Amino acid sequence: MQNEAKKAAHPWPKQRRLIGTRVRRIDGPEKATGTAKYSYDYNRPGMLHAAILRCPHAHARLVKIDLSVAEKMPGVKATHLIANEGKELFYAGDEIVALAADTEEHLADALRAVKVQYEVLPFFVREKDALEHPEQKTVGGAGKSNVNRVAEATKGNVEAAYKTADAVIEGEYGAATVCHQCLESHGLVAEWDKDGNLTVWCSTQAVVGTAAALAQHFKLPPAKVKCITHYMGGGFGSKFGPDVQGIAAAELAKKAGAPVKLMLDRAEEITVAGNRPSAYGKVKIAGTKDGLITAYEVDCYGTPGIGNAATVNMGLLPYVYQDAIPNWKRNHAIVRLNAGAARAMRAPGHPQNCLLTECAIDDLAAKLGLDPMVVRLKNLPPNDPTAAKNDPTSFLAIRHSLYSKEIEIAAQLADWKKKWHPPGAEEGPIKRGIGMALHTWGGFASAQPNEVTIVISRDGSVLVESSTQDLGTGQRTVNALVAAEILGLEPGDITVRIGESQLGSSSGSGGSTTCPSQAPATLQAACNARDDLFAKIAPRLGAKPEDLAIEKASVVDKASGKKWSWKEACARLGMDQAKGTGVWNQKLSQQRENANISNGQVGGVQIAEVVVDTETGVVRCTEVVAVQDCGMIVDLLTCESQVAGGVIMGLNYALFEERIMDRHTGRQVNADMEFYKLGGIKDMPRIKVHMYDMPERGVIGIGEPPTISTAAAISNAIFNAIGVRVPFAPFTPDRVLAALAQKGGKA
Amino acid sequence: MRNFTYYRPETVAQAVALLETKWGPTELLAGGTDLLDLQKEYVAQPERVVSLTGIRELSGIKVDASAITIGAGTKLAEIAEHPRLRDTVPALTTAAGEIGGPQIRNMGTLGGNLCQRNRCWYFRDEHVSCCLKGGNKCYALDGENQYHAIFTQGHKCVMVHPSTLAPALIALGATAQVQGPQGSRTIELAKFFQAPSSAGQREHVLAPNEVVLSVTIPLVGLQNASYEVRHKQSYDWPLVQAAVAFKLDAGRASDVRVVLGHVAPTPHIAAAAAKALEGKEVTEVTAAAAGKAATEGAKPLSQNGYKVKLVEVAVKRAILTAAHRKKYWEV
Repeated sequence: MQNEAKKAAHPWPKQRRLIGTRVRRIDGPEKATGTAKYSYDYNRPGMLHAAILRCPHAHARLVKIDLSVAEKMPGVKATHLIANEGKELFYAGDEIVALAADTEEHLADALRAVKVQYEVLPFFVREKDALEHPEQKTVGGAGKSNVNRVAEATKGNVEAAYKTADAVIEGEYGAATVCHQCLESHGLVAEWDKDGNLTVWCSTQAVVGTAAALAQHFKLPPAKVKCITHYMGGGFGSKFGPDVQGIAAAELAKKAGAPVKLMLDRAEEITVAGNRPSAYGKVKIAGTKDGLITAYEVDCYGTPGIGNAATVNMGLLPYVYQDAIPNWKRNHAIVRLNAGAARAMRAPGHPQNCLLTECAIDDLAAKLGLDPMVVRLKNLPPNDPTAAKNDPTSFLAIRHSLYSKEIEIAAQLADWKKKWHPPGAEEGPIKRGIGMALHTWGGFASAQPNEVTIVISRDGSVLVESSTQDLGTGQRTVNALVAAEILGLEPGDITVRIGESQLGSSSGSGGSTTCPSQAPATLQAACNARDDLFAKIAPRLGAKPEDLAIEKASVVDKASGKKWSWKEACARLGMDQAKGTGVWNQKLSQQRENANISNGQVGGVQIAEVVVDTETGVVRCTEVVAVQDCGMIVDLLTCESQVAGGVIMGLNYALFEERIMDRHTGRQVNADMEFYKLGGIKDMPRIKVHMYDMPERGVIGIGEPPTISTAAAISNAIFNAIGVRVPFAPFTPDRVLAALAQKGGKA
Repeated sequence: MRNFTYYRPETVAQAVALLETKWGPTELLAGGTDLLDLQKEYVAQPERVVSLTGIRELSGIKVDASAITIGAGTKLAEIAEHPRLRDTVPALTTAAGEIGGPQIRNMGTLGGNLCQRNRCWYFRDEHVSCCLKGGNKCYALDGENQYHAIFTQGHKCVMVHPSTLAPALIALGATAQVQGPQGSRTIELAKFFQAPSSAGQREHVLAPNEVVLSVTIPLVGLQNASYEVRHKQSYDWPLVQAAVAFKLDAGRASDVRVVLGHVAPTPHIAAAAAKALEGKEVTEVTAAAAGKAATEGAKPLSQNGYKVKLVEVAVKRAILTAAHRKKYWEV
């Protein structure tokens, strides 16, 4: 690997047959017909079912636990205590004990036979209650309060800027805590063999990391733990390890001497397996009459539940325009609550940042009597000439030009100039509106090396192997596509084996790093395998390796003009096989000569159209235009699907989703799919995706950026429709009606 | 789910014989869309489950010149799609067609829809002992009550009745035929429901050993419609529903009935709204006035004041729809 790093990497081919085209998923038929096996689908011989008894109180001390009755319940095979007597439990959902039984029904009855005595303690489950009582602490860790103020940061002088501005406005913006709601819940099937090897079929976005964490827990050499994730039903940042439940399942399997399945149920999935933390902010923004933003100030707070991290991306506030706004000031308070901990969720902090910035911009534009698109164009961050010298394809070098172009394309696709009107200008009870928002994201290759191995057999078959996982993004297809491009084959000709921890090194799928790590590694592996093939077959073909080239489904000798079909050529391998390995990571990508292979940082523009029924407060989003760059597009189809999925997630964030906590019981009242609302087919807009292809930048990740700006664009569209800001998402009928009533009151 | 004994009788008489005189130990199973959830959540823990799916006489729709009779076991999807019903009782077919999703509509039955338990999130939470589960208070009164009742009339429990067929059936003057150990009886749908306040009561007035056989709707030439204000357009409960029925003669409404759903622990008959429209020409103005009148007596809780406004709108739109006026809200 050391040597690999020093050699110049294989570049992307100049002539591209498959890359950048729409290639269907190679595993589509398996998924559509149900033959694709997800972790939840594994049923091992003699398998037991396991589940966890959880604290029903928002804050309590475990005084006494008695398992004697539960252990004797029919079918119970093993128990695993997670919380000992005396332990403080910090939210309704905190784990107490895991049980394994022969059937799910026996298991459910047995869980209810565990006798637990709690000392119920005071709690806060709503931000405002904790903020009103900063003297009280109801969560764990250091400090004497639930409220933890993050040091403020400033640039320039906002106070001075307010004095000279043509308009200064203040507004409130934000969004509620929402849950990941993975359709396949968290969990795994654990099985030990007689030699003490552990295999888990785990729903995870970090196959290698999950195996490593289990090995560490059981003090086993990594080779004795295997994690398999051939297919998985959504992670969005919440599935990076075995979690408490994964370890409990493996412990139970060990104790019971039988395979154990432990998958969270829907209520657990929602309450314990992560969320996007809330963010609520007061924003003051100032500008000149020609639309230049001169100052931005935000004072915001949000809750990571029992976690303890900022709930916005502090460093990136104000969002997108930070380098263009001369004066800004920001302040954030972490409000810890007795509720499930936040986890990374698809572009952590960014949608919150986007709401706190982009909505204020539209309100300022309205005050100035300007088209908010014009205000955006006026305040885009500048291209950085210094960065351009180092890498002309870097985001800093191109961002102003890129955003300008993307806004132009989006405005055209959405017919912005025709549809935009001054806020609230439409007559009648049913009002249309249009709104825009911008976003940015990273998407570099992972810091950890990603390894891909490609084997070409003498029958012409090609196997691509990597331990990486396909979260549903289409990574399996992307790896097949890249290998097929280099080897002159079709994606369907390639067998891709991924999602097994023992297939080399790879990183967890977070930060939109998988494609920019895996595609270049596959490129290297395919080129190396091809070169190995040429070296091995050239003598048997009577050619020199350097004269051999790949054409569609064939190998040609450029010197003689002779041509062999792929199968004929591979048959010359005799008893041998050709093999190539490729490794990629962020360090390699940042070598200057590799800048065109993979890169990072993207822009993106979304425009939403809504219809607001001002009599009922019901908002329908009718169209979203999403213009998105991500460097070199590998598979246009899966790329577009990522964007469409991001828009759908963002729409749900804007209109439907909200974790609702009850202040009396301390419990989430909507830990389900009934009152925790997710839009259905009739709630979906027309989604127009435009991929802004920049092959010269190399591959950049796409998973996260397209979900960032949807909610802000919808908020702005609602504002455009009704002429009054609905401050906090989700923009439910009651909130819309309340905003309208306030407007009416003012008028 | 607690273990139970499963019975699948073939006649109503056999089913009735299996039932007891108190609620709880024995439950009736029709489509299963409600009972199975309740059992999995340990909210219902019956020892015996009596399935009605083996009783043929419970299914089917009969239409003659004077009435429609729908068997209690008829699937919601069949009601929603029935051409004659769509012509004559759109209030009912629209409501049926908007319930849940296709899976629910193809499993759920008319009888089940009328006898289902309420959806209050405190009632459905195994760890909360509210007054309908033996506890002594209603958690929604001072809790998260954005989806709860705005017409409570001193009710101890402020859930909303979940049936959207019930308001339509009441507006249409329907009756239910039920059978118990002493034989069958007929109950006006308007008197079928009650606001429960303890674990010993259900959301309806049936005895624990009575079974709904069918529902009969008289065909008396009523214009009718149901309108739901919904947050989500797919798979959601209405925030507020209004079902209306009236005779329309030369543009004027008479024999007006206005019934609201999802605003009270029972379907709520808005007599003042009916009175406001009686004898009037149906216009946006008179429909709006009836909507306004429908809110009479509303006493919203801490978080559901918005539903008062939604009542006005739902009633107005239902009236305009029933009279085939322009649906100005559809653009």
